[in-house]
Amino acid sequence: MNASIRKLFFLTVLMFGGLVVVLTWWQVVQEKSLAENPHNTRKVFAQMRIERGLILDNIRGELATNRREGDLYYRVYPQGDLAAHLVGYSDPVYGRTGLERSWNDYLTGTADEVELLNTLNTLMGKEKRGADLKLTLDPEIQRTALSAMQDLGKRGAVVVLDVKTGAVLAMVSTPTFDPNLLEENWTQLNADADAPLLNRATQGLYTPGSSFKLITTAAALDTGTFQPDSKFKDDKGSIEIYGNTIRNWRDLPFGDHDFSEAFSQSINTTFAQVGDKLGQETLIRYMRAFGLYQKPPFELPADEVMASGRYQDGKLMSPEAAMDPVQVAWMAIGQENLQVTPLQMAMVAQAIANGGRMMKPYVVDNVTDFDGTIIRQGKPQELAKPISRGTAADMKDMMIKVVNEGTGSRLKTDKVQIAGKTGTAEVEGRGPNAWFVGFAPAEDPQVAIAVVVEDADAFGSISGPVALKIILAALGL
Amino acid sequence: MMERRRELVNFLPVLLLILIGFASVYAARSEQINAGSLTYGLFFIALFAGAHLLLRIAAPHADPYLLPLAALLSAMGIMMIYRIDPGLAAAQTKWLLVGLGLFAAIVVFLRDYRKLDDYIYLLGALGVLLLVLTIIIGSEINGARLWLRFGGLSIQLGEFSKVLITIFLAGYLNSKRELLSTTTWRFLGIPMPDLKHLLPLVTMWGLSFALLLLMNDLGTSLLFFGIFLAMTYVATGRLAYPVLGGILFTGGAILAYNVKYTVHTRVDIWLNPWTDAAGSGYQIVQSLFAIGDGGLFGTGLGKGYLLFQSGEPIIPALHTDFIFSAIAEELGLAGATALIILFMLLCYRGFKIAVASDDGFSKLLAVGLSAGLALQTFVILGGVMKLIPLTGITLPFVSYGGSSIVANYASLALLLLISHRTNAEQAS
Repeated sequence: MNASIRKLFFLTVLMFGGLVVVLTWWQVVQEKSLAENPHNTRKVFAQMRIERGLILDNIRGELATNRREGDLYYRVYPQGDLAAHLVGYSDPVYGRTGLERSWNDYLTGTADEVELLNTLNTLMGKEKRGADLKLTLDPEIQRTALSAMQDLGKRGAVVVLDVKTGAVLAMVSTPTFDPNLLEENWTQLNADADAPLLNRATQGLYTPGSSFKLITTAAALDTGTFQPDSKFKDDKGSIEIYGNTIRNWRDLPFGDHDFSEAFSQSINTTFAQVGDKLGQETLIRYMRAFGLYQKPPFELPADEVMASGRYQDGKLMSPEAAMDPVQVAWMAIGQENLQVTPLQMAMVAQAIANGGRMMKPYVVDNVTDFDGTIIRQGKPQELAKPISRGTAADMKDMMIKVVNEGTGSRLKTDKVQIAGKTGTAEVEGRGPNAWFVGFAPAEDPQVAIAVVVEDADAFGSISGPVALKIILAALGL
Repeated sequence: MMERRRELVNFLPVLLLILIGFASVYAARSEQINAGSLTYGLFFIALFAGAHLLLRIAAPHADPYLLPLAALLSAMGIMMIYRIDPGLAAAQTKWLLVGLGLFAAIVVFLRDYRKLDDYIYLLGALGVLLLVLTIIIGSEINGARLWLRFGGLSIQLGEFSKVLITIFLAGYLNSKRELLSTTTWRFLGIPMPDLKHLLPLVTMWGLSFALLLLMNDLGTSLLFFGIFLAMTYVATGRLAYPVLGGILFTGGAILAYNVKYTVHTRVDIWLNPWTDAAGSGYQIVQSLFAIGDGGLFGTGLGKGYLLFQSGEPIIPALHTDFIFSAIAEELGLAGATALIILFMLLCYRGFKIAVASDDGFSKLLAVGLSAGLALQTFVILGGVMKLIPLTGITLPFVSYGGSSIVANYASLALLLLISHRTNAEQAS
């Protein structure tokens, strides 16, 4: 029997050896992929043991802070839905979005600059704590923008930039959500057809409609192809371009007019001709100069910022994609598969207001570690110079005319001279999207703004007053 | 007495490891637990010192490795259980006391354990009765019917049944060894003995399947059948038995997979736990996360991510079926492999005792007990690391569970008695 017993023991050794092999597989070979499996909450909880840095607005008001339970920290958002999309959330179950996600390394103190000091502090018996983010966000402007949009009860977005620096002063997307109530509302938030979790300011793709005439005009003036006083004629209120009819709003004919009037009255027939004259190459060149066809360099996670440009089947088309002249004419008036984000349009307004110099948008003013030492300082950076100072000055005058005599009359006020451009983009089956893109005060521009309201009912009558409220708040008027 | 001196020497590293272990659990979790953990260490050492002294008197020639190995495994178990839930460790310590009590009783009163050979049918019937009882009045936990409840007490009769049936098989196979090896007919070309001698064995096979189908438990069924096959193989020396048995078992398992919903689900979860990682696959997936988190050297005792904030374990049944996952997380590949090696050494000593023994009953009993230990360890470790479908069964000596502890120390006592008898005869 002993021979059989030895064989049996040999089998036992084989089985136990097999166990060690499988154990090695999981503990060594698969170690990393197990750690990164989304169902594995180890990493999340490890980070929950760290007191996350605060997120503060530009007057150090708390946008995100912590509540301690046992030895875990839970995020609390004292301002609720105020800047929910921008700040985002950090939740052990639902993950992270917004600045909470893109600045996670700093907020948890694991970024290189914070890590060393944190380690030293831990050795000295202090608790590990993340670094604080102070934003450029102005709570007053943000609150005004949010309530103006909420009063309308419409979907849409607002972006307000500091003209001189590119700093984000307000960024609103409606409908919004309360990041403190994710657990209660998660199913509903995801099922809601209005997509409250979507940051429309940076991810929302909208047909620019007439607001795109800003870029067409910039190209027309900057190339010297047209001047503000270039003459045009419009007898019929519509125009045949290569057998395709382009109409003015309500087919209104404008008769003899100049380019500046075509801009202030948003005359489609004239802009179709301008586009035709400029051609695809020039238009695309200026679109790219203004930053279209690439994601604006912004501090949110890359997948929360969309690039503007022509889209087909949900995908950004190549700027080189061939277009026929009809398509070019349609593009010049902001149609033809064009999709832009409010952030992108605010950047266009900022560049024009700033004498043609586009600043890189940023929202993190500085990052301070737990000792209050600034470890990262946000600095204004010039991003591009899409148009000359002269072109910018001419455009400003034309944009003033929009407000004073043209489609933007609802923004005319004694308190400040506003400059801008309206836009109304038809949407299949719903009311149009109403745009206002502009800046103020015209003589010395401080704030640039882009407002888009979905499912609006009339020409400039909705986005205009919202923009006016926000501009007045931003300028403290 | 050479064996006892060696046992004492073997206890020294065990003692050291136990003290280091309890001290580090205390150090890592001093916020949650108090210096009481050190008392556990001391109490533990006192218990085994007592067992050692008892062996000096009652079975001086018994194997000097088994008891230190079992002590180390039990210590690892109590340490982990203490780390998971100090309250459970107190209960486990009581069970250890009961287990060592039964151990002492067997060593003292069953010194001539071969008398058991006279009562094998009674013991076998008792073993079957315990299983039948479990099936009839047992309560289901996690879909498997393995437990008997008396008030607040849950007893896993299967653990005792395992030992009883092993004793029965040792006696039965020893007496029928010749007959089972004599060929009178052939089945599919395989030489077979008389049908009437086969009958009890076929009954055993049937019992295993009854277990599988009625208790919903592939693991227990595999364990009983495996012990049976190993012992039959050793008794007859013919590979045809385990091969035929293996084919029958596989056939039965496939049948069970197709007709039994619970077996079906368990196998499906085993094949792909990731598709429902938050639901049906949760336990095994979390077990793998824990094991993976251990890496080479582990997080350190008390530092693994084993409990929720509330103190509830993240992996259900962490202190029983999944105790190995906890050990693998906190002690890493190094510690977990060491644990597997401890089990292998334990089995090695068991099989060695079988080889050295000079009578058939003792040999087969030692084989059965050792094979049972090996197989049970393999079934649960293979289960928690997704090598085989998961099945709820304890890790001998380590898992929390009174029945398991008591039954395993009873097995250990029998092995020690067998080795004592062999060595004593050689010495004289």
